[in-house]
Formats: sequence, C-alpha cells, structure tokens
Amino acid sequence: MKSYFARRFLLIIPTFLGITVLVFGLTRLVPGGPVERMLAEAQLASESAAPSTDSFGSQSLDEDQIAQLKAYYGFDKPILQSYFEWLWKVLQLDLGESSRYGDPVWDTITDRLPVSIYYGVITMILTYLICIPLGILKALKHGAPFDHMSSAVVFIGYAIPGYVIGIACVAYFAARLEWFPLGGFVSDEFEYMSFTDKVVDLIKHSVLPLAAYMAGSFAVMTFMMKNALMENLAADYVRTATAKGLSFSQAIRKHALRNSLIPLATHFGQNISVILGGSFLIEKIFNIDGIGLLGYEALIERDYPIVMGILVISSMLYLIGNILSDFCVAWADPRIRFGEKR
Amino acid sequence: MSSFSPQALRRWQRFKSIKRGYYSAIAISILIVLSLLAELWINNRALMVKYEGAYYFPTYGDILPGETFDLDYKWETNYRALKRQFKSEPNSENWVLMPLIPFSPNENDFIEGEYPPYEPSLASGHYLGTDMSGRDIFARIIYGFRIAIVFSIFLLSVTYIIGIAVGAAMGYFGGAFDLFFQRIIEILSNVPILYIIMIVASIITPNFWTLALLLAGFSWMGMTWYMRTETYRENAREYVQAARALGAGHSRIMFLHILPNSISILVTFFPFSVVGGITALTSLDYLGFGLPPPTPSWGELLQQGTTNLEFQWIWASAVGALSVVLTLVTFVGEAIREAFDPKKYTFYE
Repeated sequence: MKSYFARRFLLIIPTFLGITVLVFGLTRLVPGGPVERMLAEAQLASESAAPSTDSFGSQSLDEDQIAQLKAYYGFDKPILQSYFEWLWKVLQLDLGESSRYGDPVWDTITDRLPVSIYYGVITMILTYLICIPLGILKALKHGAPFDHMSSAVVFIGYAIPGYVIGIACVAYFAARLEWFPLGGFVSDEFEYMSFTDKVVDLIKHSVLPLAAYMAGSFAVMTFMMKNALMENLAADYVRTATAKGLSFSQAIRKHALRNSLIPLATHFGQNISVILGGSFLIEKIFNIDGIGLLGYEALIERDYPIVMGILVISSMLYLIGNILSDFCVAWADPRIRFGEKR
Repeated sequence: MSSFSPQALRRWQRFKSIKRGYYSAIAISILIVLSLLAELWINNRALMVKYEGAYYFPTYGDILPGETFDLDYKWETNYRALKRQFKSEPNSENWVLMPLIPFSPNENDFIEGEYPPYEPSLASGHYLGTDMSGRDIFARIIYGFRIAIVFSIFLLSVTYIIGIAVGAAMGYFGGAFDLFFQRIIEILSNVPILYIIMIVASIITPNFWTLALLLAGFSWMGMTWYMRTETYRENAREYVQAARALGAGHSRIMFLHILPNSISILVTFFPFSVVGGITALTSLDYLGFGLPPPTPSWGELLQQGTTNLEFQWIWASAVGALSVVLTLVTFVGEAIREAFDPKKYTFYE
C-alpha cells in the first residue's frame, strides 16, 4: 500500500513534465508564437484606430511588454533551452507577469481561486447532503412511483448540461422574475453592508450558480448511491444478517449502507476537476470572478502568461484530485489494496 | 452481418420493451431524417414553380437568377416575393409552391418599419421568432441540429477508432507500449481539455473538420481503459491461445478473435458520446471558439439569448431544443444500457 502511494507520488513528476511540455507546445503552435501574433494585432489595431492619447489603449502593446514577452517565451533561444528556462521559473512558482495588467500571474490566479473554491466546496457538500439520502430513498422504494418520478427529474438534470440550466435560470428567475441578481459574486455595495445583509447578499448571488453547478454531478451521485445500495441489499451478507434475526432497517444501517458509500468516495477527488471544468461556462454566465472567468477573459485578450499559468495550476489541481480520490477509496474500503495485484 | 445472434436479438427485444427508450429512439430517428431533408421543408427556395408552362425545381442545384422568371435582377430569385406577385395577378396560370417554413437559416428577413429581432408570430411565419439579425430561429435550430448531430457522430467515430485501436494494442502488447500510453493518457486526462481546445481554436480558427479532429485528439481516452482491460482479459482465454497455437498472427487474433468478442458492449457508450459531442460543440460555439459564423448553431443562439435576455424567445428556443434532444438521446442510452445488463435485484425483507 505504502509503496503504491510512493509510486503514485513519484509518477506525478513525469505526468507534470508531460503537462508542461503540452502547455509549452501550445505557445509554439502559432507560427511566430503569441508575441508575433500580438504584434500583428496591435499593428492592425493602431492602423485602423486613430492615434489615441490613452497610453493604456486597449489594443496596443508597448515596447516594454513586447520585450518582456519575448524574454518570457524565450523566442530568441532554441526551443529546448527556452523550455527548460520556463520550466525552471514555473517550478519556482514564477509564472511571469500578465501581459495586460502587469501583475504577477501567480498573484492574479490565487486572488481569484477562493471564489472558485467557495463554489466548489459548497457544491460538493450540498451534493453529498442531498444525493445520499435521495439515493437511499430511491433504492428502498425501487420501482415505486416516487422512484420513477424522481428518476425522470434527476435524469433530465443529467442530460442537460449544467451551463444550459444556468442560462435558463438566469434568464427566467433573474431577468424575468427578478428574484435573484443577474450575476456577480456579490453586489457592488457589498463592502458597506451589515453582516446579515452580507450573508443574504452572498446567498442570493449563490443560489442560481449552485443549481447550475450541482445539476451535473447530482444525477451521477444519486444513481451511484442507489445502485450501490441495491447491489449490497441483494448481497449474501445482508441476507445472512437478516437471517440471523437483524431487522431490515438495521441490516441496511449497519451493513449495506456502509459498503454502499465506497463508490461515492471514488468520486470525491473528481469534484476538483468538475469544478474547474464547469467553471469556464458557469462563471461566464453568472459573471463570477473566479479562475474560469479569468481564464476565459485572458484567452479573449490573448494574455498568454495568464492562460499558461491557469493551465499549469489547474493541471496540478487535477493531479492532486486524482490522488485524493485514491486515498479516499483506500481509506473507505480496507479491502482495496492498491498495487498489490496487477 | 446477414443474421443477428440470438443474444443480439434478445437485447433488441429487451430494448423494445423499455418503452421510454424505445419511443425516444423513434423520435430522435425521425428528427434526424427530417433534419437531413431540411432543404425540402425549411428553405427560402421554392419546392416547385410553374411559370409560363414550364416547371422548375429550385431546391437543390444551382441558383436560378431572377431573370428566369422575367424579373429585373440577376441574383437569386426571391420566391416569397414571386409567390405574392403570382397571387396578385388575376387568373394567372403561374404558381409557386413554397416549403412549410419559407426561410433559410442564413437569410436575414426584414419586416418593413421594424428592427429585428422579431417576436414569434403566426402572421410573419417566424414561428419561433428571429434572432438579433432577423434570421428565422426555427430554421437555425433545425439546421443547427443537423450540424450538431453529424458533428458528434463524426467525432464519435474518430474517437472510437483511436480509442479502440490504442486500448486494444495496450492490452494486447502490454509492456513498454502499455506504460507509455498510460502516461500519455494520464497527461491528457489531467489537463482542462475544454480550455486547451479553446486555446487551440483561438489560434487556428477551426472549421467543421478541424474542430472535430481537435476535439477527438483530446477525448479519445475514454474508450481506451475499457478496451485495454477487455483485451487483456480475452487475451488470456483459451480460444486465443488456441488460435495462437494454430499459428495465427497478431492482426488475425486481434481482428478476428478478440475484437468481435469485446466490441459489442461499446454500443452502450454510443448515445452518451453523442450527448457529449453535442454538448461540447454547443459549449464551444457558446464561448465563441466553435464553428465560424454564420453556421447555424445552438451555442451561438444561446450566446445571443444570454446577451439579450429581454428577447426571451431566443434563449428559450435554444434551451428548449437542447433539452429535448439531449434528454431523448439520454433516454435511449439508458434503455440500451439496461437492455445489455438487466439487473434484477432480490430483496430479503
């Protein structure tokens, strides 16, 4: 077991290197690289627009930024050399500076991360809180009208992607009925509110995005719980337990339920990837200032240091999430011995 | 295959007995056929024109310039106007038969004195209204469906071919080959794929084929794990050993012995891959990294709808279409899954 996790941790290294090669390769995909592309665009913009007095003009890059970018990507050096130089910087958590705002990429991303984590954690907690009881109920009432009806609802939520549900929610409950704000993490005047108002404001802003975030993982969890419990209920050991005189409800609580929670544990680490994957769309719809929106805006504005930074950081989080999943499974199910077979 | 195996027949019977999935399959098939024939019922070209004793069928083929019908312009005939003109002529022999929805998905229809978008109305013929530039939403939804479904079926074939090939080879050859691809898959499944595709799409401005290949390049991994374990297992069976003892080569064992025994279950993944393909295309279109305009697309409609929330028919049509189609396909998928693996639970209460 220990050796499995030791190997697992050691394998992070080649995987991480592979990811950096992929990320770095992307910047070399364009002939001339992002710098040339930005230059071309800046030129185009300055030709079409009248010379503006605003030195922070939204389109053009100044000499400094160009030099900075060229140095950052190392386009004057051979690919391998510039890759290793970049990698060295990444390992020191130096992801460069945003070509748009000039702030360090690392700070920009870590500033936004809490917002994404807030939604991620709450989504996860709510999903577990609702799906486990619902799954149990559905397993016990398998075939009853309640089971069929809730299945249909859960199923439609599964079939329709979360962001589409988000769009429908925002359009109907926010824009039309005006029950909820149209978007944002909190109101503009959040700072000046009393504590209770702040809580209410935050909740009001969170309801719709949370619904959208939950829609996807909801069905998977509920059905996983239901199927696992049903499988265990039909298992021999539960039959033995009831045969020995345990009541059905006790047999569920003491035997079947515990074993049914194991598959949910495998899902635990995947929450991280679900959060990051769904966030581009949902954060954009609700205009939530998390890393998804940051990544989207950076891409639109061709702020490549941020794009690369987000890729590196989110890949790291994915990696951690997958290992976390394994840990949870090993912890929840002592029967599983990773790495001893195969 | 000339005849189906008894097992396949039994599965088909079981699938038919799951009513929700069976009727969804019928509905989605009808939708696909209708969308493939979209030119015949949603089009701004007439189905049939009778003019001065001659018959014209403008639906498919080259455009007929206005001069064909002695109109004073050389560009394509405006059949809706032509129809009105023929109708206003007293007891004329000429007539125009228009399709059910007389609009094209890329055609801007302007009503005099009003700015688009136009509300859904029976009078104007825009049953779901028009989008921000006056294009008929119903036409765009049907044509968009056609593109999305063809896209996801093409995407699915490419991902399955890569996934099956790589997975089967991993299971069959094992060793260093297996390890190498395990790393590749681990790398690809540890990056935010949607974001990578957005980045590449922002650089190369993809068309239908490049976008599908790009998506396939980052999403073939799903099938490999399954094929790998399956090949691994089959490879150890006696019949494979027997074939090997008889002198069968790698490719013969792989294609004639292992694949037929492990591939049928892949059907159960099919509908979910279609859902995945439609969702991916729609998301990319919504974010503006999908197919270039003016391709009719649900994602682009969603995008218009969310930026113009006051015109509710725009987002509602797109959300409605997506919900209906994705739910139908998921129902089919669930029924297929159940047909392949009927779980009968027994309780001891």
